[in-house]
Amino acid sequence: MAVGNPPARPDGQRASAPGEIAFRGVQKRYPGRDGAAVDDLSFTVPPGEICVLIGPSGCGKTTALKMVNRLISISGGDITIDGTSVKELELTQLRRGIGYVFQQIGLFPHLTIERNIGAVPRLLGWSKERIHTRAGELLELVGLDPASDLKRYPAEFSGGQQQRIGVARAMAADPPIMLMDEPFGAIDPIARERLQNDFLRLHEQVQKTVIFVTHDIDEAIKMGHWIAVMRDGHLVQIATADELLAHPADEFVANFVGADRGIKRLRVRTLHDIELGPARSDLRAPSVDQDTSLHLALSMMLSESVNQLNVTDGDGKTVGTVGIESITQMVSDGRVPSSA
Amino acid sequence: MSAGLIPLPLAAGPVIPTFGQASNCIVQNHQFCASWFFDNFSSRFEPRLVEHLELSAIAVGIGSVIAFTAAIIAYKQDWFETPFSLLAAFLYTIPSLAFFELMVPITGINRFSAEIALVSYTLLILFRNTLTGLRGVSRPAIDAAQAMGLTPAQSLVRIELPLALPAIMAGLRIAAVTTISLTTVAAFIGVGGLGSLIFDAIQTGFKTEFIGAGVLAILLALVVDLVLVIVQRAITPWSRRRLRGA
Repeated sequence: MAVGNPPARPDGQRASAPGEIAFRGVQKRYPGRDGAAVDDLSFTVPPGEICVLIGPSGCGKTTALKMVNRLISISGGDITIDGTSVKELELTQLRRGIGYVFQQIGLFPHLTIERNIGAVPRLLGWSKERIHTRAGELLELVGLDPASDLKRYPAEFSGGQQQRIGVARAMAADPPIMLMDEPFGAIDPIARERLQNDFLRLHEQVQKTVIFVTHDIDEAIKMGHWIAVMRDGHLVQIATADELLAHPADEFVANFVGADRGIKRLRVRTLHDIELGPARSDLRAPSVDQDTSLHLALSMMLSESVNQLNVTDGDGKTVGTVGIESITQMVSDGRVPSSA
Repeated sequence: MSAGLIPLPLAAGPVIPTFGQASNCIVQNHQFCASWFFDNFSSRFEPRLVEHLELSAIAVGIGSVIAFTAAIIAYKQDWFETPFSLLAAFLYTIPSLAFFELMVPITGINRFSAEIALVSYTLLILFRNTLTGLRGVSRPAIDAAQAMGLTPAQSLVRIELPLALPAIMAGLRIAAVTTISLTTVAAFIGVGGLGSLIFDAIQTGFKTEFIGAGVLAILLALVVDLVLVIVQRAITPWSRRRLRGA
């Protein structure tokens, strides 16, 4: 199914930053194997945004990711970074300009954290002092302690901490693009949640173009500005999380995002996305900030046994009320199109 | 050729020096006369010990260079493994005494002959261990190096070889101890070392010399092994790190 590029986001302020990745009819065939592992894959990731590739095992999502830095060669079509084909770039140059994080982490066990993070900068000829400063800066950014951790070895850290270092290492030379192949897939659920949150916070600061592969729809909804659903090497749908949950392109996507997609959608919408009732000074109800997700607002109503909440703006001024019906209404919105 | 053609390394001076004023221990040829051993250590044992160390070190050094190179070739080119393994295994199976004697008509009675045989015995162990070490390097680390834009040569030198060091050093330790032991036999073709004292003592039946040289050979092997362990720990500080608090 051919899917066009997603519409430009309204907040186009990042558009001038480098790091636009465009897939143009990308194909991957393996000799002696029927069918293509990836076929006619076309989509664009705007600079500074996170695009999640998701789909069942063998759908070609990791293959697609690895073609960007040519860990897997491209059989047909092209991938461009800011208009330049990755095929035209010298292989080592291409890779040194792209951060790569993967599930197995792959820290170098024999090098200190500082030298792990400094691996690419060293290839690029940075001075020792510059690498030291940068490594400390990054370690702090990913929530570790430069003073004590720079001189340690990878085996001294837990899996979650190691992947934080993996993320820091990928960002060492400040590449505009990061490829993340199920980066948090092997991390225990609690540490994973923290890593996801920290990465999103980090991304706000550094604004890299990220392609993020996962098979976990909740992770995709949480992490992605864009979610590209793949199946059998083809792109089925690329949309924002909200759009995907509200209007899955077909039965496959609807099944993939789950029967509870209505509930999931509440996570990606905030009280800004809903029509509020008029502010009422007499309402005895808990107050929530308008940035709160609908999911959290609903949880509060259920746990507090109330039907309404006061909604406040950033300054704490009440701007309106929200009722339980308007949220549940949202859950039932957007049925699967009867025929796709 | 009979072994009789090979001159046995007899000492130049009297076999048991100062026989007349010798202690009871020497006269009665007891198992081990410590005072005689220490009195004669610097004149009689030390030069042989140094010789022994030299012979062994040269053999392990040259053997390492050959085996190391071969292992890297085999790591990059799979086809190379079988022929080199077969050659190294073949050399390894030749009885050592026969090997030393076999080399004499070809290269003569000299250190060169001894070293060829000694080097041959190091190859199998060093080659196997280095190759196994390289192949055992954590796959994710190699994948990460590739994805980060290290060239294959950079990855080999900076990542794969350092990570193979524990296995390489383990091979080096076995090779060193084996070679020190075999060097004793090399004295058979007159190249010196502690083996010459042992052959001497076998001829004369002088027990103190026999045991003194034998124990020195054992101590040398143990000390070299210890030194290699210390070196290994120094160059692979990462290999013993564990999770904090664990």
